[in-house]
Amino acid sequence: MGKRAVLFVSVLLALAMAAPAVHAAGHEILVGHPATLSGSYAKAGEQAVGGVKAAVDWINNTRGGVMVGGEKKMIAYKVYDCESKKESVTSLLERLITTDKVHFTYAPYSSGLTLAGAPVAEKYGVIYMDHGGASDNIFKQGFEYIVQTIGPGSSYHAGTLEMVRKIDPAAKKVALAYEDSEFARSVMDGAEAKAKELGFDVVFKRTYPAKVTDLTPLLSDLKAAGAEIVIGGGHFQDGQLLNQQMADLDINPKLLSLIAAATLPAFGEALGDKAEGVMGPSHWEYGVTYSEAGAKKLGITWIGPSQDEYVALFKKAVGKDMLPDYHAAEASAALLSLVLAIEKVDSLDSDKVRAALGDLTFMSFYGGWDVDDTGKQIGHSMVDVQWQKGERVIIWPEAAQTGAPVYPKPKF
Amino acid sequence: MLFEQLSGNLIQGLVLGMVYGMATMGLSLIFGVLQVVNVGHGAFIMVGAFTALTMFQAMGVPPVLAIPMAFIIGMSLGMLFYYGAVKPLVSPSGIGIRKLSARGKGVIAGSVVGVILLMWLTSGFFKVNIAIYLFLGIVFLYAIALYIYGGRRQDKAAELATLLVTFSVGVILEEVVKQLFTSEARGYNWDIGKIDLGITVLPYTKLLAAMGSLAIAVILYLWFNKTRAGMAMRSVVEDDVGARVCGVNVDWQYALSFSLGIGLTVTSGVLLTMFIPVGINPYMGGPYTLKAFVIAVLGGLASPYGAFFGGVVFGLLENGSYTLFANIPGLEPFAMTRFFSFVMLLVILLIRPTGLLKAK
Amino acid sequence: MMVKGSGKYLPVVPVLVAYGALLGYGLMVPGKWQLVSQLAFYCTLGQAFNLFMGMTGYVDFGYVAFMGVGTYGMAVSIYNLTDKGLGGWVIVIGFALAALFSVLLSLAVGAVALRLRGAYFAIATIGVNEGFRFLIEGARIWNGSEGMIFTRHMKQALGKPGAMAMGTFWADVMMFAVAILAAVLTLVYMRNKVGYALTALREDEDAAKVMGINVTKYKIIAFITSAALAGLLGATAWALKLQYVYPTDVFEIHYTVEAIIIVLLGGAGTLMGPIVGGLIYGIAKYFLAIVLPGFQLLIFAPIIIAIIVLFPEGTVGILKKKLTGTALQRYVI
Repeated sequence: MGKRAVLFVSVLLALAMAAPAVHAAGHEILVGHPATLSGSYAKAGEQAVGGVKAAVDWINNTRGGVMVGGEKKMIAYKVYDCESKKESVTSLLERLITTDKVHFTYAPYSSGLTLAGAPVAEKYGVIYMDHGGASDNIFKQGFEYIVQTIGPGSSYHAGTLEMVRKIDPAAKKVALAYEDSEFARSVMDGAEAKAKELGFDVVFKRTYPAKVTDLTPLLSDLKAAGAEIVIGGGHFQDGQLLNQQMADLDINPKLLSLIAAATLPAFGEALGDKAEGVMGPSHWEYGVTYSEAGAKKLGITWIGPSQDEYVALFKKAVGKDMLPDYHAAEASAALLSLVLAIEKVDSLDSDKVRAALGDLTFMSFYGGWDVDDTGKQIGHSMVDVQWQKGERVIIWPEAAQTGAPVYPKPKF
Repeated sequence: MLFEQLSGNLIQGLVLGMVYGMATMGLSLIFGVLQVVNVGHGAFIMVGAFTALTMFQAMGVPPVLAIPMAFIIGMSLGMLFYYGAVKPLVSPSGIGIRKLSARGKGVIAGSVVGVILLMWLTSGFFKVNIAIYLFLGIVFLYAIALYIYGGRRQDKAAELATLLVTFSVGVILEEVVKQLFTSEARGYNWDIGKIDLGITVLPYTKLLAAMGSLAIAVILYLWFNKTRAGMAMRSVVEDDVGARVCGVNVDWQYALSFSLGIGLTVTSGVLLTMFIPVGINPYMGGPYTLKAFVIAVLGGLASPYGAFFGGVVFGLLENGSYTLFANIPGLEPFAMTRFFSFVMLLVILLIRPTGLLKAK
Repeated sequence: MMVKGSGKYLPVVPVLVAYGALLGYGLMVPGKWQLVSQLAFYCTLGQAFNLFMGMTGYVDFGYVAFMGVGTYGMAVSIYNLTDKGLGGWVIVIGFALAALFSVLLSLAVGAVALRLRGAYFAIATIGVNEGFRFLIEGARIWNGSEGMIFTRHMKQALGKPGAMAMGTFWADVMMFAVAILAAVLTLVYMRNKVGYALTALREDEDAAKVMGINVTKYKIIAFITSAALAGLLGATAWALKLQYVYPTDVFEIHYTVEAIIIVLLGGAGTLMGPIVGGLIYGIAKYFLAIVLPGFQLLIFAPIIIAIIVLFPEGTVGILKKKLTGTALQRYVI
C-alpha cells in the first residue's frame, strides 16, 4: 500500500503543479495577493479580492490599461489563499514575487498578517500595498515598501465625538467598550484622547476578549455608569452582539457608535429595528459624494469609476449580489494609486513607483489618498454612517452628508 | 450598588448557564458512551443556529418550533458521522465488508486517482466550481473505500485519531455552510417583549431558551430512567460487556447514543440563538467548544445531567466573577473571568475529576 | 526490541539526508526559501510534538502554549533589552528566555496535568493554553493584547541588513537546527531507557508501574524536552522570523491540530514520521492554496479523515512494515 499511497500523493501533486499558471508575458502588469480567503479573516478577504478584481476590470476595460514605456499594458491579478495563517503568507508571497514574477504585491488582511509578509517584501524590494493593517505601529518599524490605504486606527472615532460636541454641547459622559485587540485598542486610545480634548468625561472604559459570546456582565456595568455616549466595537460578530444585548438590557444612550460591524449591510439585516439610529465610522460607504467634479473643484487628480459604476463592477467580480464595503473600496483604491504612480514615473520598478506613491495625492470614489514618508495613510478622512429606517445614511462630516443625524438615537 | 450588580449578573448567569449546560449535554453523552471527545462540537451548534435562522427567515417559523427540525437534522448528521468516521475507529470489528487483496486495494487507489483526474478534466464543461466537485468526489470515494475496505481499529493512536477525525468533521461542516451561506454574520429578530426585574432586564426569549433547556434536560433524564430504550442505552454506558451479555445490541446503542448526542447539540444551537440571535456565521462554534469542555469537566465529563448542572455553575461563576475582577484596578475583568474559568477547570480536574456533583 | 552496538543510531542518516536535501533545495533553487522554511516549520512542529506524544500516547492539545511562551521569551528580550546596548546578545538571551519560559510552563503543566490520562489530559492542556492567553490579556502582561512589534528593535540591535537577513534567512537556518536537535533527541530517547520506559507506558501504564518502572520520571523528562523544543521553535519561526507577537496569534489551538495531523500522516511514535508528514502536509497545503484559493479546507478535511481511517499507521508506519526483514530496516524507525 505504501508505494501506491506515495504514487497517489505524487499524482495529486503533479496535477496541482500542472494547473495553468500565469506567466509574465511582458505586456501585463502583474499584481499578486496572498489573500485571506479562508480562516478567521475570510469575510474581509473576499471583499478585498472582489475590490481588486473590480478595479482591474475598470482599469483594463474602461480605462484601456496603464500607459507605461509607450505601451498600454493590462493589469493581471494573481491571488492565492493564505488561509489567514502567517506561515503561508511568507511562502506564498515569495512564490508570487519569484515564480510568478509579479511587479507589485498586496498584503493580506489584518495588521498581524501584514507584518508577517513584510520582511519578505522588503527583502525583494517589492511594493507591498497594505489594505487591511490599520495599526500605527507598522509604520514605526522602518519598512520601506509598505504603502497604506486604510487609515490609521487612532482616528476612527474622532469625527463621531466632534459631531456630538457640535450637536449637543451639554453631553458629558462617554463610555468606551472595545474588543481587546491591538487594532480596537488603538481606536480606543485615540477616542479617549479625543474625548478628553473635547471636554467629555470618560466614565467607563473596558475591553472584552475576542470571540466573546455574551457581554451581559460588561453591559450591566456600563449601564450603571449611566453613559450618554457609548462608543466601541471591534469586529463583525461582537458588534452585533453588543448592539443586541444593549437592547436586551434596555440600555439607551443618546448615541451608540460601533467600529467595523455597524457600517456593514449585514448589521442592519441581522438586527432589524434594533439597529435604528446606531452609527459607525467607515472608510468608505455606498453613498459618499466623492466625484470627478468635486475633485476638479479642489484641484486634485481624479481616477477610477464613479460610485455606481464601481458597485456594478464589484458585483460582477464576486459573481453574486453582494455590496462592496470599505474593505473592498480600500483594496480598489490601492490599485488606483499604483496606476497613477506607474504612469507618473513611466516605470514598473518598485523603487521608482514607491517614490512616486510618496508624492502622490489623488481622489477616487474612495475619497482622498495621500501617504507620508513612512507609507502611512494621512489623506483619507472617514465618514460616519447611521442606520435610519433600515438604510445607511452618511451623517458626518457635514460636507459629505446624505442625511441629517438623528440625535439622540431612538430607544431600542 | 455592588450587591445589585452582583445579583443582576447572577440572574443572567443562571439563565445563560442553563443554555450552556444544555449545549454541553451532547458532548458528555458521547464521551460517556464512546470515550470520544467531539472536538467538532461547536460546528454542530452552528448547524443548529443556521437551522433556526433559515426556518425563521424563509418560513417565519419561530425558533421554538425549529427545535424538532434541528433535532432530526442533528440525529441524521450524527448517524452519518458515526458510521462514516467514528465507528471505524472505535468499534472492534470495523465496518469493512471483506478484507481486500493487494490487487483490490490497487484498483481502489487507481480509481480514486482516475476519478479525480476525470473530474479535473471535465470541470471546465460544467459550471460547477471545481472545488465543490472535488469535495463531493472525495467524500463519495471515501464512502466506497470505507464500504469495501473498512477501517481498522487503531490501538495506539485511537484517541488521537478520534480527536482529529471529529475536528475534521467540524471543519467540513463549517466549510460547507460557508459555501451555502457565505461567512457573513447574520441574525434574526424575534422580539416578544421583556421583563424588568429592577436589578436587570430579561427578554422573554432568553427565559424561553432557559426553560426549553431545562425541559429537554428533564425529558432526557426521564427517558434514561423510565423507558426501556433509555435504560438499554444507559446499560451500555455503565457496563458494555454486561449489556452485551444481557442481549442488548451494543453496536446499535453506540450509534444511537452518538446520534442522540449530536441531535442534542444541534438542538442547543437553536436555543443559543434564542439567547443571542445575532452573529450567526459558519465559524461561530469555536468558543462554544471550549466552553463546553470546561462545563463538561465541571459536570464530570461523562454525565449528561452533570453537564447541565455544570453549565449552571459555569454561568454563575463566570458572570459573578466579573463583578469581583471589575473592582481590582489594572485588570481587564472580562478576560480575567475567562482566565478564572480555565483555572477552575484545572483545579477540578486535579481534586475531583469525576465532576462537582458526584463524590469520588 | 533492544538495539545494540554501533547500528544503534543509524536511523539518524535518513533524517539528516531529508533535512539536508530540503536545505539544499532551498539554497540552490532561487525563490523557494520561504517554502522550504514553511515545510521545515511543519516538520519541526511534528518532530517536537511527537517526542512526547508519539512515545507516550498522551495528546497535549494545548501544546502550542509552549511555542507561545517561547515566542514571548525572544520577544521580551529583543523588545526590552535592545536599548541596553547588548547588540546581538539580545538574541542569545532571547533563546535562553524562550527555553526558560517553556520549561517553567511545562513544569507547572506537568505537575497538574500529567496526573491525568486520556481525554482528561487533553482537556486540561487546552485549559492551560486558553487560560494563559486570557491571563496575558486580562492582567495586561507583556503589553496584553497589543502584543509587541519589534522589527524596529531588531534593526537597532543587528543593523538594518542584519535584521532583514535574520527575518528572511537566518531564523530559518536556526529552525533547521531546532529540527535536527529534535530528531536527534527523539532518537537518543528511543534508544535509551526513556524510550523503553515510555513504550511500556504507552502499551499499559498500570502494568509498567507494577513492573517497577518510574513512569512519572520519564514522562516528565519527555514532556519537558518536547516543551523546550516548542519554545525554541516559537523563538525562531515566530519571533525572529516574523518579528511581532500578539497573544491571539500564538496561543492558537489550530497549531496543535496541525501538529497532530502531521504526526498522524507520518506515523505516530516513529522518527521519520513527522518529517514525512510535515512534507506531505506542507506541500499539499501550499499547492491547494495556489490552485484552489478559498477551498483548501473543504478539500483537505475529508482527505485527512480518509487517511486516518484507512491508513492508521501513517506513511512511515506502513513503510516500516514493508521494510521488515530487509537491509533497510535498520534505517527506518
